Amino acid sequence: MMNIPCPFCGPRNEAEFAFGGPVKPDRPDPNMVSEEEWAAYLTQVPNPLGPVQERWWHVKGCGTWLTIWRDTRTHDIVVRPADAS
Amino acid sequence: MPYDVTIDRLPIFSLFDLKGPTDDLANWAADLPDFPQVANTRTQGNGVDLCFIGPNRWLLCADIKSEDTLITALRPAEAPPEISIVRVSDTLAFFRITGPDAAQVMSIGCPLDLHQNAFGTDAVSYTEFFGLKALVMRCDGGFDCAVEQSFGNMIADYLSRAMA
Repeated sequence: MMNIPCPFCGPRNEAEFAFGGPVKPDRPDPNMVSEEEWAAYLTQVPNPLGPVQERWWHVKGCGTWLTIWRDTRTHDIVVRPADAS
Repeated sequence: MPYDVTIDRLPIFSLFDLKGPTDDLANWAADLPDFPQVANTRTQGNGVDLCFIGPNRWLLCADIKSEDTLITALRPAEAPPEISIVRVSDTLAFFRITGPDAAQVMSIGCPLDLHQNAFGTDAVSYTEFFGLKALVMRCDGGFDCAVEQSFGNMIADYLSRAMA
């Protein structure tokens, strides 16, 4: 069970949150990228082995949407990796 | 061994959901107690509890008998667009759990750290209670817990089973 740091409430149990999915890359201009790149943006979800940036909603708490980095290998909430884009 | 607690279902309170910048709300509703500055705390005054339950969001709780007075004072229908004042008195069912084992019963359904050091006398917070979104606050000798009105009978049942 994760202890997710809410900016308003402080660390709270994962049970109070709803998963909002990984943060996707910025939306490219569909006229400036290839069809493969556009299809990849629409269909591929970031799923790295390691830190991934995610959105969570404190739905049973204060209602805040927040962004965290979670390591998919350990479920630890980690700091933003230095090489993150 | 049963828990040494008393569980009471409380009558409805007069509740108002306040949203908007603190200064705008304070200027609009001058008779309210000071707005709490610390997240998930409450202030009291003039028979009113003001709970800081979210970013730019407060819940005003008072006795149901004062509802008409509060409507007159808050003028929700005339509020400026920067703020929102909505009467939500009939949306929450309140339970009072008191007694030496009140924290034990709360811990069955609530993941929040309710120790006095972490959840003080003026603490109030939305959290989870038996899987539902619930407002939890301290009262004399225990805790008050409020869930959506339609789940009131279900939570009453859960609590009676938890005490058995």
